[in-house]
Amino acid sequence: MVFEVTSATSPPAFAAWAGNVAALCDAVERLQPLAATLGTGDPQLGGWHGALFGKLRPQVAREPLLVAAVCGGTNTGKSLITNTLVGAVISRSVPEAARTLHPVASFARGVAERIDLAALFPGFRPVPWRSDEDALDHASADVLVWREDPGGTQPARLVVLDTPDIDGTLRENWHRAELVRNAADVIVAVLTQQKYNDAAVRDFFAAAAAAGKTVIVVFNMVDWPRQRERIAGWLATFAAETGVMAPAVYVAPHDFAAAEAGRIALHPVPELTRDHAELGLAERLATADFDRIKRHAMEGALRVVVDPAHGLPAWLDGIDQAAAGWRDSQRLLEREGRVQVELPPPPRQIVWDEVWSWLEPRRSGVDLFVSAGYRAMGRGISWAAHRLGVGRTAAERQEDFAHAELEALKRALADFIDRLDDACRRDARLASRLGPKLASADRAAWYADLERRHAALPLVSEDYRTFVRLELDRFAAANPGMVKALLAGLTVGSVARPVMTLALFGAGAAAVPAAAGVLHHVLDFGVTVAAPLAGEGAVAVAATGSKPLIERLFAGWSAERSRILAETLHDVVLGDGVEEIGRLAASGSRPELARARQLLVECSRECG
Amino acid sequence: MASTSDPTPAAEPDFAAFDALVDALGRWAPTGPAWAPARRVKNEWEGVAARLDKVRRELSRVLVVGVVGGTGTGKSTLVNALAGGEVTAAGDVARPTTVNPIVVAARDVDLSWLPLDAMQARVVRSESPAVANIVLVDCPDPDTQSLPGAAAGEPGRPSDANRNRDLLEAVLPACDVLLLVATAQKYRSWIVAREVAAFAPGRPLLFVQTHASRDPDIRGDWRRELESQGFDVPRIFRLDGVEAAARAAAALEPEPGFAELVRAIDGELVGRAARRVRRTGAVDLAAWFTRQSLSGLDGFTEPLAALAAGITTERSRLEAILARSIGEKLRANRSAWQRLIGDDVVARWHGGPFAAFLHVIAALGSLWSRVRPGGGLVGRLLAGQAVSVAARDGGWPAIEELGLAAGEVEQSRSVLSGLASRAGLEHPLVGRARLDAAAATAATASVVDRAGHWLGEGIDRLVAERRSRIGRPLVHWTFEALFLALLVTVLVRAGWNFFHGNLWEGKPVSGIGFLEEALVWVILWGFALRWAIFALVRLGLDRDIQSLVAGLASSRLVDPLIADFTDARVAATEWLDEGGLLRIEADRLAAACGEAPGLGRLRRPST
Repeated sequence: MVFEVTSATSPPAFAAWAGNVAALCDAVERLQPLAATLGTGDPQLGGWHGALFGKLRPQVAREPLLVAAVCGGTNTGKSLITNTLVGAVISRSVPEAARTLHPVASFARGVAERIDLAALFPGFRPVPWRSDEDALDHASADVLVWREDPGGTQPARLVVLDTPDIDGTLRENWHRAELVRNAADVIVAVLTQQKYNDAAVRDFFAAAAAAGKTVIVVFNMVDWPRQRERIAGWLATFAAETGVMAPAVYVAPHDFAAAEAGRIALHPVPELTRDHAELGLAERLATADFDRIKRHAMEGALRVVVDPAHGLPAWLDGIDQAAAGWRDSQRLLEREGRVQVELPPPPRQIVWDEVWSWLEPRRSGVDLFVSAGYRAMGRGISWAAHRLGVGRTAAERQEDFAHAELEALKRALADFIDRLDDACRRDARLASRLGPKLASADRAAWYADLERRHAALPLVSEDYRTFVRLELDRFAAANPGMVKALLAGLTVGSVARPVMTLALFGAGAAAVPAAAGVLHHVLDFGVTVAAPLAGEGAVAVAATGSKPLIERLFAGWSAERSRILAETLHDVVLGDGVEEIGRLAASGSRPELARARQLLVECSRECG
Repeated sequence: MASTSDPTPAAEPDFAAFDALVDALGRWAPTGPAWAPARRVKNEWEGVAARLDKVRRELSRVLVVGVVGGTGTGKSTLVNALAGGEVTAAGDVARPTTVNPIVVAARDVDLSWLPLDAMQARVVRSESPAVANIVLVDCPDPDTQSLPGAAAGEPGRPSDANRNRDLLEAVLPACDVLLLVATAQKYRSWIVAREVAAFAPGRPLLFVQTHASRDPDIRGDWRRELESQGFDVPRIFRLDGVEAAARAAAALEPEPGFAELVRAIDGELVGRAARRVRRTGAVDLAAWFTRQSLSGLDGFTEPLAALAAGITTERSRLEAILARSIGEKLRANRSAWQRLIGDDVVARWHGGPFAAFLHVIAALGSLWSRVRPGGGLVGRLLAGQAVSVAARDGGWPAIEELGLAAGEVEQSRSVLSGLASRAGLEHPLVGRARLDAAAATAATASVVDRAGHWLGEGIDRLVAERRSRIGRPLVHWTFEALFLALLVTVLVRAGWNFFHGNLWEGKPVSGIGFLEEALVWVILWGFALRWAIFALVRLGLDRDIQSLVAGLASSRLVDPLIADFTDARVAATEWLDEGGLLRIEADRLAAACGEAPGLGRLRRPST
């Protein structure tokens, strides 16, 4: 039988949707990695994803083929019915259940070469049919076997598929059947009196009905005609459960011998058929109004996509909610990820020497001579004191300081890790980002890294020298009588003991109330972990401009010292976890989200 | 198919060993450390323990056989055939047919122990010989209630009220044996397989293919399917329930498949066999429990070993820091060693001018040492003071003074807490990296106490050894002789000057000047000899200090600082090891039970 498109029926105007559907697919694909990292559910589990990617995208702009799929539970005779429908053995029927592992598609001659099969059936790798054993092949995964109708009677726009089962112990089969269902316009539901009300069967066909597919029901293995009166009851139950309004119902009597031989009869049940016509199933499929069915299926798919409760909008809402959750997590981390580093009092001459060397060219000859004399004398006294065992040399003092400083940094690191552990315990989202790193990493290596950085940091770095010069230059410009002020300031500043606050997020780091009210000369400056800086900025402290000069000079020096801890935290402990959390927290405002919502509004308008 | 008319009796389980195993499991499972995996095992055990206990109490009552399978497979038809009449509705009118479970029992069987209300079951009495010695339950199907997690459809569907699977899950715990019914359409049903797998551990099974007159024989494929799910499948019965029920009603000879099933029930589920079935089921259940619970714990073996290695590493690291610092402090206190060893030796030297000289020096020196402050624990020990440590002496300054900084300890604890959390050991089993004030005080006090004892003993040993070397009379008298030699020389010289020079040759007396000069020389000589004694004291002291400090590791000084990690690891490992032994014992008993010829068992998790 050759099918002709009558010119009276206008071809479905899907092309108008094509732009929006493509844009929507694009937006969803861009959002998918984000959704995966946000921990929102797998979009592929939602029916809308199958409708959008399995139905609308492949079919909206292509040749409007009508896809009819034969679906049902294990061992209900799907292959037998497909073969009967096609009029040839395309998929072998075997007594063992769940043996059809791959869908088999039958095309009219010449169609398969013309179209992109992989695009028509997303998720499958199309392979040409070789034998009726193809569909039973265990070796290959996600294959779709296709062949051309050997009889030459199949309508040009009709594709018939045999599908794997929807309720067996091989869950991959379910998934393959769902992919085929998504792509189909017409579903031939093969039911038996054992299975018509099984939950797995109901769920499968309910999804088909919701997506606007035309579902034709075939009751197989019926004790015919004894059970004829039962059929209406079974069908009513099935319709009530699934929402399927079958336009036609067929019955295949239980006939073991005929089944063995591959010949089964499909009796129409006119009293349960909408048009009461006694039309054979193959004939009904061939003469159906393809365009109307197709349009119905496409509109149904679009309805599934735009459904606010279960469709794409719900998924987008999920992303919004997850982003809001991440914002909470970020706030928790902001509160918890903050430690105070109580550095030992810095050796006075560190800052002093830098100031001195800045002052050198600005002083008179007499002044220089006198101070050089004092310095020589001071060195002599220090040497003598050391020999007597009363004082320690500058080198020893620096070594003592380095020890104490490293110890303070280690304590701060341990405290930080404790806090991160706590935060992860309290917040599952943080645990998902930071937990694996915290749990699986070799923490000893973190401390080794800190030690390495500490050992590599010179007591006075070039960065710090630059910082001091800039600060002093600025100060000198603002205060003409500065030398006196400086000398006085150095004496006071030398006893300052800065407390550095390391925070995971920059915002508010400097706003931590300084403990200055309690501890005299304790300064609180913020150092942010997340953004490692180099050069001039590396020494900059968060409290710019608000502290007296000398305190700032000391704080700058201590900030540089604490920065190595920040670097260890950032480079070794946390990796880019913190930035990632920041990105996730900000993901609610991604432009793709707004774009997807706007496209949805347009699509909703299209499907009414 | 093998005949069951004369089944070879399977080996009886070893009852005493089984009781011992259950007792051992009862001691092991609920008493694990406060460790998440142990808590999980404890929870699992609660369900299993109740069942094992029930088996011990109800060893001799009849077996409850639950007939399970998908809807439409002919469960009710089979129950009717076995009961010899229409006790439960069967047919093709509507799916599901059976909603409330039907309990079929002989008239004289007491059912008061069955939780009929919880099962929402209806009891039917039957005279049929097939159910004379068992209780048969026609169970609801598992496959008509909507799947968990399935997308909610339109509300108001009839199946929304379907609670068959929930009901089934309330009924199956009461069953001792499962009679699994399947058809060609349903033997590979995922949902049925899932429900059976959940209840099969410890419940022997009978497998029956129904609809024999309509469906092809799928027993070969079903067996493969069941074996892939972990079942031992000795046999599968094949029968037609409708025909069996019709023949039973017409009092005709039963069809062969049905007759075989009835014989198997009689032979393997009744009388002595029932006891054995129940025991075997219980042993299987115990074996299943140990296998499942411990295979869930396998993943912790490696992290626990890593934690053990980490504890060793961190302990060595802290000990090395402590050893280095204590060694330095011991070496730095040379004068203290001198005083401690030399002064004591000298104090015991009596008689002789050198001894007298040293006593005078020591008396002067003690004035000086009394005004010097004591230098920490090492200083106090070297000053010969007894060190007693009270808990209040703890706190970080106490061990920082020994050279072990809080930062180093926290580093070790932080590293260990990472390893511990990988092994699932968390608060309260182990503390945080930063110890809270009370714990820090207690731990550091303990360290100081240990260090005080260990160091005190070590110093005492070292001092005693050196004292005995220097304190020997030979050394004493050698020094006395050397000192005396100068004194004698001075006296001889003075005598010579006086007697020979003054009296004999008439030279003038040189006066007191010579003696003053001589006294200076004597004092200098005395100091030189004293220096020699101290040189002897110091000889090889560095080496001895090194070997003393090398013994630090064996004294477990730093253990209190990481004791929580050590204790937790030991507790978890010991508990795991004990469980491993129980698993071996349970597997041995289960293997010794042998096979009942017609009953299947779930032996392995699904592949």
